[in-house]
Amino acid sequence: MPLTKPWRSRALTAALLATVLTTGTACGDDAPGTSAGGSIKIGLLASLSGTYQAVGTEIRDGFQLYLDTHDGKLGGRQVDLVVADEGNGAQTAVPAATKLLKQDRVSALTGIVGGGSVAGVTPLLNETKVPLVGSNGRPELKDVSRVWHTSYLSDEPGAAIAQHVRDNVKGSVYAIGPDYQGGWDELRGFTDAFGKIGGKLANADGKTTFTPFPATTNFLPYFARIKASGAAAVYTFYAGSAAVDFVKQYAQSEIKDIPLYAAGFLTEGGVLNAQGEAARDIYSVLNYSPDLDNAENRAFVAAWKAKHDGSPTTYALASYDAAAVLDRAIGAAGSDPTPEAINTAIGQLGQIASPRGTWQFSTTTHSPVQKWYLRQVRQDGRALSNTVVGDLATVGR
Amino acid sequence: MIAVAAGPNRIDPYLIPALDGVAYGLLVFVAASGLVFCFGVANILNLAHGLLYAIGGYTAAALLDGGWASLALALGVGVLAAAAAGVLLAGLLTPVATGSHLSQALLTFGVALAGGSLLVAGFGPDDPQVQVPAALEGSVVVAGHRYAAYRLVFIVVAAVLAAALYLVVRRTRAGMLVRAAVDDPEMVACLGVSPARIRAGVLAAAGALAGAAGVLGAPIIGPGTDTADTVLLLSLVVVVLGGLGSMAGTLLAALAIGEIQTLGVALLPSAAPFLLFAAMAAVLAVRARGLAGRWRAA
Repeated sequence: MPLTKPWRSRALTAALLATVLTTGTACGDDAPGTSAGGSIKIGLLASLSGTYQAVGTEIRDGFQLYLDTHDGKLGGRQVDLVVADEGNGAQTAVPAATKLLKQDRVSALTGIVGGGSVAGVTPLLNETKVPLVGSNGRPELKDVSRVWHTSYLSDEPGAAIAQHVRDNVKGSVYAIGPDYQGGWDELRGFTDAFGKIGGKLANADGKTTFTPFPATTNFLPYFARIKASGAAAVYTFYAGSAAVDFVKQYAQSEIKDIPLYAAGFLTEGGVLNAQGEAARDIYSVLNYSPDLDNAENRAFVAAWKAKHDGSPTTYALASYDAAAVLDRAIGAAGSDPTPEAINTAIGQLGQIASPRGTWQFSTTTHSPVQKWYLRQVRQDGRALSNTVVGDLATVGR
Repeated sequence: MIAVAAGPNRIDPYLIPALDGVAYGLLVFVAASGLVFCFGVANILNLAHGLLYAIGGYTAAALLDGGWASLALALGVGVLAAAAAGVLLAGLLTPVATGSHLSQALLTFGVALAGGSLLVAGFGPDDPQVQVPAALEGSVVVAGHRYAAYRLVFIVVAAVLAAALYLVVRRTRAGMLVRAAVDDPEMVACLGVSPARIRAGVLAAAGALAGAAGVLGAPIIGPGTDTADTVLLLSLVVVVLGGLGSMAGTLLAALAIGEIQTLGVALLPSAAPFLLFAAMAAVLAVRARGLAGRWRAA
């Protein structure tokens, strides 16, 4: 009996190894990325399971929508889209990306929900010399030579809305957010810009209040402090179920009449349906809203609504734009669009027309220089929706 | 850092957190009392207790539609489902030697993992939303402060539940048997009451309590992938703080947890991540038998 267990596990290991080796050799002599038939392989990595499933699904659907509305082609080549599941973070994302890059040998990678996943995948990009056109998570990166993002940097929403809050709020502002990297970045973006233009925080020690994440589900103790601080407005960033808890409890609390400003994710997508009436009148800042009035957006929203319930989110838009970026870059990369040629072409795209308005890649951060919009949750037909009420700053560096 | 304003306003800002601490504490009491019963009476360490609460929570999320009838239905279904899960656990525990806490812990922990995965598979990985009856959706003014109506009503309901629990344990034959089983299990066995039946009964009762807490407490500690762990952890802290001997100790410990989690966080927000466990460590360091012993001695 004592012998069977190790023997079994060793046999299993051997079998697994054998399988891996067989697949490895079988795929070893594939041509990288493109093939003679004029098709091109693109890898899409997104959370199709786990906590960020909703965002991952939007990202997959946004990319697919661009393909569907462009005959399944990018840069004139038929696209062979290989989709892989990112899961909850780097732990699952890195093996999935390894498969896409080394086994499927895609010409470019797109998607990726989590910032941690992007950080984990970046070394692989440099190793395989394949570009990533990411559509959501963007961590602090030293080397962005093969990393491009169609989304935003985490500190940009706050920086974009600071001036508006300064102009429209008579008094100090209470800053509160979740205690993790994303929360620190989002809130720092606001407090830095707000402080520079003479804004004053209402927080007791002049510093942002960070709530333990994801442990905090009851925000009432924090609301009591906001009430006591005499703040004239609140600025916050939460996403997912924390956003639902925060908004629902805010609407029932003693500070319900204090204006609430937030990074757009507080009321974006599915969370708005869950918040319902509690979200009415909340101001938020985002780089996109489905009611933007331009030709690209009208076509995008119409195509989206023909396939899905509800309006597209900023997540779907960023992925749609990632496809648009690849479309133009592959077209510009010439007759032999190698991953290197595509990467170079992305850097020379210039202005990109998009449903969010025209934007371009920053030459230093490889993320968009784009306009941000002030939105308010208002009645739109039978449902509540984020309605654009004004333009904010153009941000990007 | 603590003083926000001088005069009567020094207490005023903390009224709502203190009140909310009572709501949270009573929820923790109803949720944890089942675990304390199991551990104290049947000598079963049930690490699947959080799962029983989660069953109630998910039932509430699935059935509540904003009406009173759906609340009654959810309460009935949630209590029955969680009680049934408790009986199932008792059945699974039959072959495990009584008092062998390690085997019990491993078995129930396994059940908790499997059950948690089943709940996620059935209800999806997103935290489902709970819709309370429309009449309780809003807020009311308490002593010049706004407070969620549902939580205020919850305080009353949970207090009634706690009182009912006290009366059942004190005044009914079932309660007497349960108390007798704590004091002298051999004598109870001699009286012809099968230990297996007591075990099944206690686990069913624990399940029913956790299920009721899960349904009624869903708007406060909502159903989600972490719920079972959160509730189990809070219940274990109740056991550490309150001991296993008395209901009063359990209630005291639960209320202390409630106040630490709300009033404590309002007073010392920077210490929020570790306040609860710092309090637990302090109690253990000062008095290893928990608050209950101290309470009895006083």
